[in-house]
Amino acid sequence: MFDMQMESPVATVESLGRLSPWQEFRAGFLDIIPLAFGAAFYGAAFGLLAAQAGMGEMQTSVMGAFVFAGSSQIVGVERLVSGASVIAALMAGLALNPRILLMTASLRDDLKGRPVWQILLGVHLTSDENWALMHATRAKGHAVGYWYLVGGGALLLSVWVAATVFGVSFSKLLPAPRSIGMDFAFTVAFIAILCNLWRGTGDLLPWMVSLGCAGTLALLVPIEAS
Amino acid sequence: MTDQWWLILGLTLGTFSIRLGGYVLGARLPSTGVWTRAFSALPGCLIAALLAVILVQENMSEWIAAAIALAVAMLTRNLPLTMIAGIMAVRVLRVST
Repeated sequence: MFDMQMESPVATVESLGRLSPWQEFRAGFLDIIPLAFGAAFYGAAFGLLAAQAGMGEMQTSVMGAFVFAGSSQIVGVERLVSGASVIAALMAGLALNPRILLMTASLRDDLKGRPVWQILLGVHLTSDENWALMHATRAKGHAVGYWYLVGGGALLLSVWVAATVFGVSFSKLLPAPRSIGMDFAFTVAFIAILCNLWRGTGDLLPWMVSLGCAGTLALLVPIEAS
Repeated sequence: MTDQWWLILGLTLGTFSIRLGGYVLGARLPSTGVWTRAFSALPGCLIAALLAVILVQENMSEWIAAAIALAVAMLTRNLPLTMIAGIMAVRVLRVST
């Protein structure tokens, strides 16, 4: 998708106009694969942490499927491991999530008029990666929407749950993500996505303000990167 | 119930409420003028903010690797290639600095 020379599901059916829901789901599912690799390494790292918190496969998979917010899970469980109370761990974990409010709010045109189950499914499967990828794909002129997001979310959730369970089961055999550079995977993915979101010089001011405020706050207030 | 289960339950309810709350908020806001422009500017601003938060906590190796990744992204517009270049760069730079 990001490389027009590659076999791209969107590119191949582009001439037909709007994709069917299934074609869109498939395109979202395939396009998210590079980001799913990043999620796999983070999932395995979370599994290591979950093992330290005394969590088993059952708790880890339930948490991955129902919470489905990597940074929240990592921070919450890390707090628990370091001896914080459940309430303190919960607050620390949830403090990372308000950005998701803005993300699902921006989906209003994609969710408008859909049955309740599709709204519930769509918001649950919204994460940084598939949400940003959907916007980046749109910025390149492809008419993708709800099912593209859900396709990407479905693969991310499956990979996330599988990787966290793998991590908790084989916690002694895995290298730390930092030692092989994989902790940098999402940072570089966001750089690539940001390049695709660029619409022109009109974006410069809002982006700089956003970057400056977030960067300054992060320097002044100790917060965890999400 | 154990601490772990309480945390799982709390994070599940809290995170889902935020996700659904965003939908409710979005559906209630007017779909004209300034709100439309704000929502169309949101993806780029949010990703820029995420990157700022991550990068201020990193060091020179990561900043150089991020600059290399930016160059690759601008030249190729290719996500997998950018990820591979950035991860390789950070591995090399961390060893050499």
